[in-house]
Amino acid sequence: MTDVELAKKRGEEHLKETLPSIVKTFAYEDTAYHLPISYALTGTAVHDRNTALDVFSRTGSNPIVASECILAEKTAAAGKEQAPYTGFIGDTVIRKLGYSLVDGSILGLALIVGSPDSPGTAAAICRELQEKYMLTFLAGPVIPSLLNNGVKLGLDYRLVPLGSAPLYGIHFVDIIARVAMMFGGVTPGDTHRLLAYAAERAKAIVIVFPGLSDDEVALVDGMRVLGFPILSIGDYTGGSWIPAAADGVVRKGMEEKGIRVNVTAIPIPMGCSPAFEGKSIRKEEMYVEFGGGRSTAFELLRMRTAGEIKDGQVTVIGPEIGSMKEGSANPLGIVIDVAGKTMKKDYEPVLERRIHNFVNYGEGSWHVAQRDLIWVRLSKEAVAKGVKIEHLGKLLASKFRMDFPQLLDAVAVTLITDPAKVEEAKKEAERVYEERDARIRGMKDADVSTYYSCTLCQTFAPNHVCVITPERPALCGAISWLDGKIAYEMSPSGANQPVEKGAVINAQNGEFDGVNRFIRKASHGEIERCSLYSVMEFPMTCCGCFEAIALMLPEVNGIMVVNREFKGETPSGMSFSTLAGTIGGGAQTPGFAGISKNYILSDRFLQGEGGIERLVWMPSQLKEELKDRLRKKLAEKGLEDFFDKIADETKAKTIEELMVYLEKVAHPALAMKPLV
Amino acid sequence: MVPEAQFGWTGTIEGVTLGATKAEGGTRCISYRIGGGKNLPFLDRDSSSPSPLIAYELCDYAPLWSPIVRSYCGDLVDSLPEWTKTAETTYKPDLIRLHLNSTRQRNFSDIPGLGKTVETVLSATGLPLIIEGSNEPKIDSEVFQRCGESGQGERLLLGTAEASRYRSIAAAALAYNHSVIAQSPIDVNLAKQLNILLKEIGVPRDHIVIDPYTGALGYGFEYSYSAMERIRFAALKGDTDLAMPIICSAADTLTIKEVREADPAMQDSVAVSWELYTGIAAAAAGAEIICVRHPATIGMLRQAFTSMNANTVRREVE
Repeated sequence: MTDVELAKKRGEEHLKETLPSIVKTFAYEDTAYHLPISYALTGTAVHDRNTALDVFSRTGSNPIVASECILAEKTAAAGKEQAPYTGFIGDTVIRKLGYSLVDGSILGLALIVGSPDSPGTAAAICRELQEKYMLTFLAGPVIPSLLNNGVKLGLDYRLVPLGSAPLYGIHFVDIIARVAMMFGGVTPGDTHRLLAYAAERAKAIVIVFPGLSDDEVALVDGMRVLGFPILSIGDYTGGSWIPAAADGVVRKGMEEKGIRVNVTAIPIPMGCSPAFEGKSIRKEEMYVEFGGGRSTAFELLRMRTAGEIKDGQVTVIGPEIGSMKEGSANPLGIVIDVAGKTMKKDYEPVLERRIHNFVNYGEGSWHVAQRDLIWVRLSKEAVAKGVKIEHLGKLLASKFRMDFPQLLDAVAVTLITDPAKVEEAKKEAERVYEERDARIRGMKDADVSTYYSCTLCQTFAPNHVCVITPERPALCGAISWLDGKIAYEMSPSGANQPVEKGAVINAQNGEFDGVNRFIRKASHGEIERCSLYSVMEFPMTCCGCFEAIALMLPEVNGIMVVNREFKGETPSGMSFSTLAGTIGGGAQTPGFAGISKNYILSDRFLQGEGGIERLVWMPSQLKEELKDRLRKKLAEKGLEDFFDKIADETKAKTIEELMVYLEKVAHPALAMKPLV
Repeated sequence: MVPEAQFGWTGTIEGVTLGATKAEGGTRCISYRIGGGKNLPFLDRDSSSPSPLIAYELCDYAPLWSPIVRSYCGDLVDSLPEWTKTAETTYKPDLIRLHLNSTRQRNFSDIPGLGKTVETVLSATGLPLIIEGSNEPKIDSEVFQRCGESGQGERLLLGTAEASRYRSIAAAALAYNHSVIAQSPIDVNLAKQLNILLKEIGVPRDHIVIDPYTGALGYGFEYSYSAMERIRFAALKGDTDLAMPIICSAADTLTIKEVREADPAMQDSVAVSWELYTGIAAAAAGAEIICVRHPATIGMLRQAFTSMNANTVRREVE
C-alpha cells in the first residue's frame, strides 16, 4: 500500500530538487499561453530555468508548477512522443474542447492515471465515462492497457491519450487553465479567480490506478487545490484521496463533483414554462382545487441526507385525481425532500417558496399563497389531457433539479391526498414553520444596514416590490429577512436583492432614502416613496399574496386587520376577497397595506400610526392564532388589558357596532391623533 | 416648438461592437458600436441615440428564399459572392445578414461547407456580418462551432439564441469573441430571462443584442412594438438585464397576403412599402438594427431615418 501523505512529501521534496537541474529553454507550439498553468497562476511566461524557479517559489513550491516545467523541458529535449500520444495540445483544439464544455455536449472532464490491475477494468471505466458524456484524458500505463483491450482512443472517441507516463497528466491541468483563460474571463496572474473557476466551473475528476511514483503522487495530489476529487482504486491509503471500487468510481466521482446528466424535458402531459406563470384558473375552468380555505392543504420542503431519498421519486398517498369529484375541494399535502452537497437547512424556506412559481409554470396548474395557506387548482383542460396529482410531483421534482443544479443532487416529492394523513403531516409542517419563525425573532431593523427586496411576484404584479426587514417579513409571510439574505447568496441575480437602507427620512414611518432609491428602480419608476412602518403614508405596494390586510377605519380612528382565511364581511363593509381585489396588483393604496400575520407581533407594526394601540378589529380566529404571543408582546409594552379591547366579528360586525364596542371598552385609538 | 423630451431616465443601453477592422484584428472596412442610448430614439439632437443600422439579409440557398427578392435580384441570388458584392456596392446597407438556410434542407450534413460559405461572404464584403445558423437543434453544436471558427477575429453577430437553445451560440461567442442575438417570443420577461441565462453561462452584456421577434405591420406588429417599448423603458429606467440594443427583422412582411397577392406590376412596391413602414415603426420603438430583404427598401429607409433626425446620417468609419 502507498501512503499518500508520505509519498506526497517525498515527491514534493524530489520535485524541488529536480527543478534546478533544468538546463534547456523550452516552449510549446500553437499556444498563446506559454506554460499555461504557470502563466495562469502568476502571469509570468516561463521558458527557462530562472523563470521556472521564480514561478515555483512564488506559488509556494507548487508540485503542479514544478511538474509542468520539468515536463516542458523534457519535451523540448527529447521531442514529442510518437502517436498515439498527443502530448501538449494546442490552443485551436482547446478552443473546440472549451466550446463543447460550454455548449453542454461534454458534461465534464476526467483524468485517468496509473496501471490498472486487470485489463478489463480501465476499459469498463472508460466506456462508462463515454456514456456519461465525459471527455477523458489518459496518462501512463493505462493507455497500453486500453489499446491491448481493443479500446479505440482519440478525440473523436472522447478518450485522449496524453502520454506514456502519469507525468503527462499535467496537460490535463494546462487544458483547464487555458479554458479558464479563454472562456472564464480569468486573467493571467489572477490566482484567486483561476482557483475559483477550476473549483466551481471546471467539472473535472481524477481517477488513480496503482503504481504512481512519489513525484506523480505529489502532482496528482496537487490537483486537489483546483477542487478536483481524486478517486483511487486500490493501493493508496491516507491523505484526502477518496477510495472507490472500479465499478462505482465514475458515479462516485461525478456525484462528488456535482456533474449530472441534465433533466431537459419534464415527462408530464401538460406544458411547463414561465410563459404560463401569469395565468390563473378561474372557478369555471377548474376541475379540482386544494386548500384556499376550502380544504386543508400545506406545503413543506425539507432537507434530507442523500441516502434517505431517491432522486426523482414521486409518491402519492391517498386518492388520485380519478376518484375526485369535478368541482370539489380536496385535502393536499405537498412534501418535498431534497438533498445536496451544498444544500443548507437555512435554504429550506427559500426553496419552498419556489413551489409557488413551479406549480404556476404548469399550463393547467395554479398556485397561490404559501405554507398551510396554499390554494392549488388543476384545470379541466389539463385533467382531460391526463394530468394527475402525480404529475404535479413530477413537475416539482424536475423543476427543482433543473433550476438548482448546483444545489440539489436529489429531489423526491410526496403528495398526500388522504384526509387523515394530511392533517397528521400538517402538524409536523407547523412545527417546522414555527421553528423557522423563531430564528428571526429577536433581530431588530436598527441592527442592520441592509434590507432585502423580493420581486418574485412581478410576474403577476409587474411593479410590485417587497422590502423585507428583520422586523417586517414579506407580506406573504413566507420570506423573512434571513431568507432574503440566503436567497441572495444562492442566486445573486435572483429576485431577492440587497437594499441599502441609507439615510433616515422619517424614522417614525420608516422611510429611508436608500429604500426609496431602490423602490423607484425596481418598480420601474412607478413608485417614488415607501414607508416601511406606515399604512397611511406611502405604504408598501401589494402583489396579491398577502396573508392579511391592514386598513384604516376613519370612523373609529383606528386600523383593522383581516386575514385571508376569514370569509365574512368586515366592519369596513368589505370581505377579504373584495379588499384583496382592490389593493393588489402592485399599487400603492394609502390607508391599506398587505401584511404577514407575524408582522402584527412586530414592534414596528403600525409604528407610523402610533403603534399597536391603533388596532381596533381582527377576526377571532386570527386573534386566537396570535393570542399567546400577542398577549406576551402587549405585556412587555405595559398594555396587559389591550388584547381584549381588540374587537372581532363576535363583538362587532359593522362599523356602528364597532364604534359602540370601542367606546364601551375605552379603546385607546379613540383618543389618538386623528388618522386623516 | 417641440418640447424638450426629458423623462429622467437613469439607464444607458449597453454598447455592442459589430465587426472588426484590420486595426481591431479583423478584416472589415468598418466596425460599428451600436447602443449607448440614454433616451428614446429620434429625440435627442446629440448623438446618444444615432439612427439605426440597416442590415441586408441574404442566404446561401436561394430556392428557399422569398420569390419576390429572387425575381427582383435575378441570377444574382444563385451566386452568393456576387449577391454579397452587389449588396455592398449597389444596395448599400450598413451590414450584411447571412442566413445559412441551406441547413434547412432535409438531412443536411455539409457542415464544413458552411465554414467555406462564411469565408466566401467575408471575402466578398468589407461590411460587418450577422450570421444566422441552423434551425435544427441537432446540428446546432457543429454549425455554430464552424461559424464561430470561420469568423474568428471578425466580431460577428451570431443568431439566434432562444431560451430552449442558447448554449451552442453562447459557446461560439465565448470561444471566438462574437456577439449573440437573443430572441424571445414578444415578451419582456422572457427577454430578460434569456439575457440572464446568457449572462450566467458567461456571455458579457456587451455581446448581446435583443430580438423581441417582429411581426409584420398589420400582422401582430403592435405586439412586437409594445414588447420593444417595454424592454426599452425598463432598460432606461435602470434594468441592466434588458439594457441591450435591439435588432428587428420583419421577415414575414414578404409573405403576407397583401404582398403575395399584389398585382404583379405593383408587387415590388407593395413589398417595399410594407418592409419600409414596419422598419420605421420598429426604429421608432427603439431598434438599433433593422433588417430588410428587398434591396429597394434600404435607400428609402435610410432617407426616412435621416428625415426623422436631421443630425444623424450614415456613420463614419470608426
